[in-house]
Amino acid sequence: MADGGNRPGPEAHLASNLLLVAETAGIYALDPDDMAEVAGRLNAGLPVLADLGLDTDAPLPVIAPGPVRALALTVSQACNMACTYCYAAGGSFGGPETRMTEATAFAAIDRLIGDAPPGGAVKIAFMGGEPMLARPLILASVRYAREHAAARAVQVGFSITTNGTLLTEADADFLAEQGFTVTVSLDGGRETNDRLRPMRGGAGSFERVANRLAPLLARADRIPLTARVTVTPKNINIRQVVGDLSSLGFSSVGVSPMLTSPTGDGALKPSDFSTLLDEMIATGEDWLAATEAQQPHAFSNLATAVQELHRGKARSHGCGAARDYLAVDASGRYSACHRFVNDPLGAMGDLDDGIDHAGRARFLAERRVEAQSECARCWARKLCGGGCHQEVLHVGRPACDYVRGWLDFALHAYGRLLVSRPDLFDA
Amino acid sequence: MKVKPVNQSAKSGPASPAYPQPVLGNPAATLMESGVGNCFPGLEFDLRQLDVRFFPGLVFAFPGITQNGPDGTQGAQLVYVNTGDDPIFLEDRKWIHDLANTLNGEQGGALGGGQWYLHWVEQGGNRIELYDNIIWQNTVTKTPYEGEIAWWIIRLIQIDPDPDFADLTIALTQRDENGQPSGHPVVLKGKRRAYLDDEGMIPDVYRPGELTASMCSPWTHDFRDCACQYWASNHPDVALGEVQDPQQLADHTDDLDAAQAVTFLDWMRRRSDPARDIAAQPTIELARPMRYDPYEINLHWEELDFVLQGQETSGTFKPDREDLNEDPYPDLAALIHDLSHNLARFEFSLAMEYLYAFFSLRAPDDVSPEQERDWPGLTNDLRAARQLILSVAISEMTHLRWVNQTLWTLHDMHPGYGPYLPVVAPAPGVPGEDDEIRPSQLRIATQKVIGEFVEVERPGGDLDTEYAKMVHYMREHPGQFPPGLDQLAVRIDSDGLNHYQKFRDVLRILDPYSGCPDVYLRPLTEAAPDDPRAQPALALLDAIVAHLRSGYSAEAATAQSNAARLASQDEITTARDLMHQLYDAAEVLARDHDLGVPFFAHAGQYEAASRG
Repeated sequence: MADGGNRPGPEAHLASNLLLVAETAGIYALDPDDMAEVAGRLNAGLPVLADLGLDTDAPLPVIAPGPVRALALTVSQACNMACTYCYAAGGSFGGPETRMTEATAFAAIDRLIGDAPPGGAVKIAFMGGEPMLARPLILASVRYAREHAAARAVQVGFSITTNGTLLTEADADFLAEQGFTVTVSLDGGRETNDRLRPMRGGAGSFERVANRLAPLLARADRIPLTARVTVTPKNINIRQVVGDLSSLGFSSVGVSPMLTSPTGDGALKPSDFSTLLDEMIATGEDWLAATEAQQPHAFSNLATAVQELHRGKARSHGCGAARDYLAVDASGRYSACHRFVNDPLGAMGDLDDGIDHAGRARFLAERRVEAQSECARCWARKLCGGGCHQEVLHVGRPACDYVRGWLDFALHAYGRLLVSRPDLFDA
Repeated sequence: MKVKPVNQSAKSGPASPAYPQPVLGNPAATLMESGVGNCFPGLEFDLRQLDVRFFPGLVFAFPGITQNGPDGTQGAQLVYVNTGDDPIFLEDRKWIHDLANTLNGEQGGALGGGQWYLHWVEQGGNRIELYDNIIWQNTVTKTPYEGEIAWWIIRLIQIDPDPDFADLTIALTQRDENGQPSGHPVVLKGKRRAYLDDEGMIPDVYRPGELTASMCSPWTHDFRDCACQYWASNHPDVALGEVQDPQQLADHTDDLDAAQAVTFLDWMRRRSDPARDIAAQPTIELARPMRYDPYEINLHWEELDFVLQGQETSGTFKPDREDLNEDPYPDLAALIHDLSHNLARFEFSLAMEYLYAFFSLRAPDDVSPEQERDWPGLTNDLRAARQLILSVAISEMTHLRWVNQTLWTLHDMHPGYGPYLPVVAPAPGVPGEDDEIRPSQLRIATQKVIGEFVEVERPGGDLDTEYAKMVHYMREHPGQFPPGLDQLAVRIDSDGLNHYQKFRDVLRILDPYSGCPDVYLRPLTEAAPDDPRAQPALALLDAIVAHLRSGYSAEAATAQSNAARLASQDEITTARDLMHQLYDAAEVLARDHDLGVPFFAHAGQYEAASRG
């Protein structure tokens, strides 16, 4: 199966009989008789696409970024928790704790909606810090956005990423009524979570979160709800973590490895990555088995990965940061995403002078995977898109073998599901 | 080796990989309504204003969101109800009577008080509300769509081709102070207004200024805030400069010539710049350092030159028309005689002369690759020259119609001059050089012939003066003419300048080939009138003339009946279809047989018909 040590080859990658074309993200089924020869040539670094009629000289077009369609409002640069690894350094992003004013939030919403084409759609994400510390601002912002978007026939969707500790019954009603997508940050079951995610006073947060989540879970049919797990060396037992959170009531659990933290505390080290990959694959096998048996399973990473492979969209960037998405902080400064708040590397203008579109274009041009020399010989470059901009700019790319190993596994899984569950995929 | 595409990217084929970023619809610039004058020459009005009268009898406005946000006044506001001056209410149809009764009854009366808004429109079982529903704390709040969205919805309403079928229902409501619809709706049944027909826009529906009412207007200083370079779409982008230096003259033209400069200048350029006469730049970015930004016009408008006939002018314009000081015609009879015996026939003759010259030019498709290699640009030059000549020929045909329209209008107003007889026949001679009449003749488009065409159309020449005389007479004797009739003559006269410039362009375009006429000219000779190969074309021309005559007669009678109006439309449409057939026949004759259509072969027959 996944060996993780597959030699990076620039042209294509073979996972059982599926050939992934690196440049286009197209996936082709090989004739079984040809597999050995193709594998041999790939391993020897020899070209294969020309013989298969799959080579193309046409480069993908570079498309200028359009209007920003999603905005993270950092409504509260403060947090009631004290997670050791947080990218926001206790919620304040290394600066003084501040809260966004209504004027700032409204101005940012005005610009987002004003730039959207009538009949289009925008998304607003409430981020922090802990956004629920700024509950009145969230309510006011949602109302304001609804009214202004409605008059222009712009659809507006909302999401919130919260630690869950401050949620009330009324909040859950509100989130359901307004169609929020809710992500709760949790790092595992009681024991794991309390070690990694203490309250500011040092007390564990799990009990509190579990109680607070009840109103949300009770509305799971109306609120798309996901648990998001930050994987550190202390909760690398992913299979266990996903199981624990699933038992708590989450139907969707996503994990993301922690590669960088402001304190250097809690980040995964190179020696952790093979364990990480083994855990991911073990959890993935669970998900595959459940899926093939038509049973639900919460592990969303693989569910997302196989659908992305099926789409086969060649990515020049790992995410929509700066292109479709910007964050705005309490002082009204735009940044490439919520992780770049207070970070000059991702500064994108401010509310007074407007979004720095030249800066966006420059950032996107510099961060294109095609411009990353170390990605040029990686078969997974157009699937991964070069990785998280913020992590790459601060710690480089320490986990590429892990990423390739995971994608190789996902390709195998995709191949299996094409046979066993073809109904999962659009034509 | 064989492969089978599996995922969506692979299925789209290696040559058309999935785009790396999503592309959302068409770029805004491809939408007609987002165009500005620069991109869509001739955009002299705001498309959206057409729909302020989308429903018969009602006039709407489409206000957007105020600076303080949606205050509930945005959307499709009813401005007023009026069945009196809306010409559709003259039509005899059941739904129009019903609508008029409703609007003049209790419901229409209700619309007279307070502010009403369009609430929903319904067509073919589909109802669209002009509100967005927001759920807030278990209650539904209605937010009115702003004017632009309301217009988008209205724009999508279709017109059923059956004029008797009223398929559109609309409802209007008032609003409370929170912008929520309140009270009983007024529901009206009718039909979407057509504002175009085969002839173009239907003019009677709109008041003067209505179609431009929403546009930036320099005199209201709106343009100060105009960030879209739209200000104002009807200012000249480029103009020809005044010529001081004779060395700059393009050809043999003289100082009195209206179009003597050759370089287009940016009209918005900074006049203080040392390089004040540098050529206009192709993009705003390149031009920006040299030109005023729109907001600066407030301070510098006096520096911008007046532009007359495409050319900047700093002096006071004095028309060189001393002969106009006395009455050009002794009486109206002389004017009518001039129209029917000279002008209509001149237009016919010139149209034929230009068409003949047009068919004598090789078609762009006939140019072989070798010829294009030896004469780079030949294909495009031929395409341009042919297009220019054909456009002038068509314009002369339009003039023929306008002269006839002037005639039937005058005969209708002054029955003492007898009944109107359509004049669709050539003149034996047309104005030529030095105001001499030369015989009408069909000639191929040599440089000499094109040069003569330039002379015919020259401003101040005989033909130009004819129409100037007529305008002068009409304005001196307003009682003898219906208001506005002089505008037709003005339009013919000002088209003349256009023709003149187009033929000068043709001269310039074909100049490089003048030493080798074979390269661009067909060895065309005029077919004998009895040549069997020319008979199909001649038969078509006969039919066109006949249909134009009966079409003009019917149109002259349209004031009396709708039936006549329909008949005239049919005749003109038939004539147009035949013109396309004639075009094809003449092209075949010229291309395959080197023969030109003897357009004047049946002149006597056309002449006889025009004399009744």
